[in-house]
Amino acid sequence: MTASATSTTPAKRWILPVSMALVVASFLAAVLLGVVDIPARDVIAVFSGHGSPEAKSIILDLRLPRIATGILAGIQFALAGYLLQTITRNPLADPSLMGVSQGATLTVTIFLLFTVYIFNPGSNTVAELPIAWLPAAGAVGGMAAGGIIYLMAFRLELSPLRITLCGIAIGAVLHALAIGLIAGWGSARIEIILEWLSGSLYARTWDHALFLLPFTVAGLAVLPVIYRPLSILQFDPVVARSFGLSYRKQFSLVLLVSCALAASAVGAVGPIVFIGLVVPHLARFLGGRRFSLVLSLTIVLGAVTVTLGDLVGRLIGGAEEVPIGVVTAILGVPVLIALLRKLP
Amino acid sequence: MITFIAITAVAVICVGLLPGAKMLSVGTALRALIEPDGKIDSILVWTLRLPRSLAAAVAGAGLAVSGYLLQTLTRNPLADPGITGVTAGAIAPIVVFFVFVPSFSSAYYPLVGLLGGTAAALVTFWVARGGNGRPLHLALGGLSVSLFLGAITIYVLLRAGPQSTALLFWISGGFSGRTWSHLALMLPWVIVAVAGALVLHRVISMFSLSDHAAAGMGVHLRLWKPVLLILAICPVAGVAPVAGPVAFVGLAAPHIARLLRPAGTIWEIGITAAIGALIVTTADVIARTAAIPKELPVGIMTALLGGPIFVYLIQRGRLDFRGDAT
Repeated sequence: MTASATSTTPAKRWILPVSMALVVASFLAAVLLGVVDIPARDVIAVFSGHGSPEAKSIILDLRLPRIATGILAGIQFALAGYLLQTITRNPLADPSLMGVSQGATLTVTIFLLFTVYIFNPGSNTVAELPIAWLPAAGAVGGMAAGGIIYLMAFRLELSPLRITLCGIAIGAVLHALAIGLIAGWGSARIEIILEWLSGSLYARTWDHALFLLPFTVAGLAVLPVIYRPLSILQFDPVVARSFGLSYRKQFSLVLLVSCALAASAVGAVGPIVFIGLVVPHLARFLGGRRFSLVLSLTIVLGAVTVTLGDLVGRLIGGAEEVPIGVVTAILGVPVLIALLRKLP
Repeated sequence: MITFIAITAVAVICVGLLPGAKMLSVGTALRALIEPDGKIDSILVWTLRLPRSLAAAVAGAGLAVSGYLLQTLTRNPLADPGITGVTAGAIAPIVVFFVFVPSFSSAYYPLVGLLGGTAAALVTFWVARGGNGRPLHLALGGLSVSLFLGAITIYVLLRAGPQSTALLFWISGGFSGRTWSHLALMLPWVIVAVAGALVLHRVISMFSLSDHAAAGMGVHLRLWKPVLLILAICPVAGVAPVAGPVAFVGLAAPHIARLLRPAGTIWEIGITAAIGALIVTTADVIARTAAIPKELPVGIMTALLGGPIFVYLIQRGRLDFRGDAT
């Protein structure tokens, strides 16, 4: 099962510029459109430093931060999925399917349980929510789950397919634990965790974007380093070693990067399923066998998908918006099922 | 063997009568059980603890047989109601009805669950090419179906507002506060599945070879495949409205039963059902005694139990990844 056998069409030069343009277009659409209509003239006025206070606060404090968070998270999810699919040589791998999301869910749940519930159970007072710490808590759990995948891969010397299946099982156990904890803690402020659980960009602030930024930058910065190993890791361990690759070291490094990207993104925006799964496939479909093109397309399309998905969720639901996790799951699953059908 | 397991299950049910917010001694519990006298002890035993333990046993038996049938049908050791998306398929439409059509009687929920579960199973099997694909296809197909339906469920929960807590406790799976009427609601579905599987044991044993072999021995595939699939979904449809999803029982019980090397298909089915009952009853007793007076959802206990079994099965290499035979 080669990772890049999806398409044999020759890569076209225009794909990358067009998708870059798509990023800009979706960004502009996301800034311009929303529940509150703000004419384009006012938006321009805001950016040039004038504009009414309302327009200013809507654009600068509400829309821009969530778009920025979404773009960063989208890049991270897509890249994480791509890296994991490449090194496990499994076109269906994705950290968010294999325990990373669920690990993050569990730690966030435990974290909220201790910070919110234990100290003032059942009270209706508006408690100061430790929102700033949620991403960190999620990232820790996601990394821990990634560590379990890593241990399985090497201690038990599992094949990539088995790693995927074990990851799914571990994810299911962690998820059951998290849901059980939520159900056990009762009714107090259950909507916080539900909102987070469905994967949402609602009320994301610049803090979230700033939290994600170092991870995104580090993930992108490490790409040139792992670029060549990555292209060799697509092969069997035996073949890869015969290229002179220290398989274990490089595999661990890429797995670490993948889990870190996914875990931090889950921490900030919740488990947005399927970005990491579907976007790399889309990139491969468009980019064919050209490794560098597919890699850059993955990054670009990740940003586009999340921005557009969030926009769709905002516009469809009106004031009660549809969380982006729901949008991506509902739109992404048919794609995934079609892919599964096509697979040999 | 089967009597031994059944006796153990009964013993667990009896032991399960003792602990709780009010501890009963063995003597009190037995006396309350044999001669109900309307006092608090006998109310505790007869209206709270006994029905929920029995419900757990029935649900466990049903889910285990469901998993057994799915594993036979797909000849895929990973198949179970959760992994094939049947549970999610039963849950999602029920949640939708619960929130948006409150006037819809809950007595019909099993029917809704049956339709939803069947639809989800059909999609999953379509992805996995009717069980001829590799286990990975089935697992990922079912997982995608589950995630899709899960997204819908979560969204409905978000819209549900104040009802979401009750729904969430139900979705995490549990037998807390289940009464005799709950038991009566799901009993027929489970009986249909278990009895059907026992009656059809000859067909099932031929199916477990291969489709070709079964056809060669005179099994009418086009008739029996759908029948077995419906039989497999029946218990899920019956159990889901009452207890929510109870994870991993359908996966683990048939494997444990096979480890015991039963003498034939009919025994295999019986032992599977008994083990399922034992697992869920035990999990339920643990779930309500581990953190008295609070309750843990039984889904946690079964997930903790079944997850490691799942991982063990995979890493022991008991699964064949080509998908022809096990």
